[in-house]
Amino acid sequence: MACTGCALLCEDIDVRDGEVRPACRIGAAHILSRQQVDPMVDHEVVSIDDAIGHAAALLADAKRPMFLGFGNSVTETQETGVRLAEKIGAGIDTCSSHACLIDDIVHSRVRTCTLPEVRDMADVILFWGADPMNTHPRLLSGYAYYPRGKNRQHGWEEDRTAITIDVRRSHTASICKGVHKIVLGHEAEFVDALMLALRNKVPKTVYDSKQILKLAGTLKKAEFGVIFAGPGLVESVPRDAIIQLMDELNKFSDFRILPLHSPYNLRSIAAVKTAATTNTNTTADVTTGATTDITTNTTTDAAAAHEHQGISTSTSKLTLNRLREADCLLCVGFDLISSLPQACDIDASIIMIDPNETLTAGCADVVIPCAAGGVDIAGTAMRLDGVEIDIPNIMETGQAGANLRTGTPARMSDASIMSRLLEAV
Amino acid sequence: MPGIKIDQFLAAPEREIMIVEYQDIFQTEAALKHGKFSKEYQDLSAVIRLDPADLKKIDAGDGRPVKISSEYGTIVVTAKKSEGDTKHDVRANEGHQGHPGVGYMPASVWLNILGSTPAPISAKVSQSQQKISAVDELIPGFKV
Repeated sequence: MACTGCALLCEDIDVRDGEVRPACRIGAAHILSRQQVDPMVDHEVVSIDDAIGHAAALLADAKRPMFLGFGNSVTETQETGVRLAEKIGAGIDTCSSHACLIDDIVHSRVRTCTLPEVRDMADVILFWGADPMNTHPRLLSGYAYYPRGKNRQHGWEEDRTAITIDVRRSHTASICKGVHKIVLGHEAEFVDALMLALRNKVPKTVYDSKQILKLAGTLKKAEFGVIFAGPGLVESVPRDAIIQLMDELNKFSDFRILPLHSPYNLRSIAAVKTAATTNTNTTADVTTGATTDITTNTTTDAAAAHEHQGISTSTSKLTLNRLREADCLLCVGFDLISSLPQACDIDASIIMIDPNETLTAGCADVVIPCAAGGVDIAGTAMRLDGVEIDIPNIMETGQAGANLRTGTPARMSDASIMSRLLEAV
Repeated sequence: MPGIKIDQFLAAPEREIMIVEYQDIFQTEAALKHGKFSKEYQDLSAVIRLDPADLKKIDAGDGRPVKISSEYGTIVVTAKKSEGDTKHDVRANEGHQGHPGVGYMPASVWLNILGSTPAPISAKVSQSQQKISAVDELIPGFKV
């Protein structure tokens, strides 16, 4: 069985006698989580049908709806969600800082690879603004550092060099042979200095030039290098600088980049959106009469990416500004209020579809609980390296979403909820 | 004037810091296991890790409440001595280095009240006698 606790989608999970093996802390807690919420309208508990009906009415009346999240939904839900967005002229924003990098990977602006390729070939591994010990605990043992691979038979002891580049000494730094500390406010300068060092020039920088030159030397000697890009890289270094760095590294060696994001199916929504924009360029929203350019509207992340190039404004501010323009927000597996507390101030109606209780439920006009992908419903998802994985449901179920063993009532899948909304609007 | 410390004129000495976000697996686990309204989640979220020198400057002890104010809001959270000096030692190759002037907070609604992450947030920190800010007090219009 596969774990949907993070984007690694570990496929060796077994649940017996209430124990989840050999999952990490996040995976075990995710699979056994029972922090569920009742269907609600205006903070009053209602039936699931009433909640869906109310949500459909809000979406039908909305003139500038926006869908947020989808990174924690199976691909089937994403596809239905995109169809619903097209139908009512809604924008989709995953609210993820990795959106730009995934866009660059999907459009081959940077080279990438699969996780088994990392295990078999990688000899230099950079954890840049990433702390997988706290976000993807089984990455190091499964692929990136400890295991012996086809061309790396000596594993971490001799064959691999792990390096962290971060603003703080993360737990992951404790196993790394190289630790480079980023100076606050000089994140992009580190990339510039490294680019110069790769060209054998001594950078004039706030960083230790000798250390930068040593790092450049290690990277140039790599047979197969991989950068695991965490939030600390994609949020603080301009998108173009990352592309240029990858180009420069590939002049000397074979370097790949992988996004280290947490939502388990974030990579898929980019593919689903790209497919949707390829199939449809423009559409008219007959309900509101507004004409919506799907090319731009369903790629809100890409628009954000352009805004993001200068990195003069933070992601949260950009997102909040975009949200203020919407009159109805549909949060799918995304805890908006946890990410942007100021969102409570915005005038838009908020509809929440989530398997678990979230802070957004405290501000939402409509709350619709759903089954959790990979826990009580099956589906497909895309691992962080773009490999599609079948996600069977883990819990023993007697009917869709019901867990007879724990007595948990049946939950409707988010795909079914999306389909009901699609029919209703 | 030489010999005068500005802190002696303040009710509680304060220190300007930059706050950086980090991820904590135990906090993520607590959110999934116990929910985001639970004490377990709050205990791991309403936290700032400060350099021992900074803790000393604001006369705050390990585990004591501190007030943090930024351009966007004010919160009260628990101060913790930075990890390098605790049993959960982060063993970097060159040994522990301090980080005076920089505080680390886990990603949470408490941090978001202070400003927009991921950009480092400029804030002032001082000791406090107030209780730790609860979730429903932090968010306007919030109904539990």
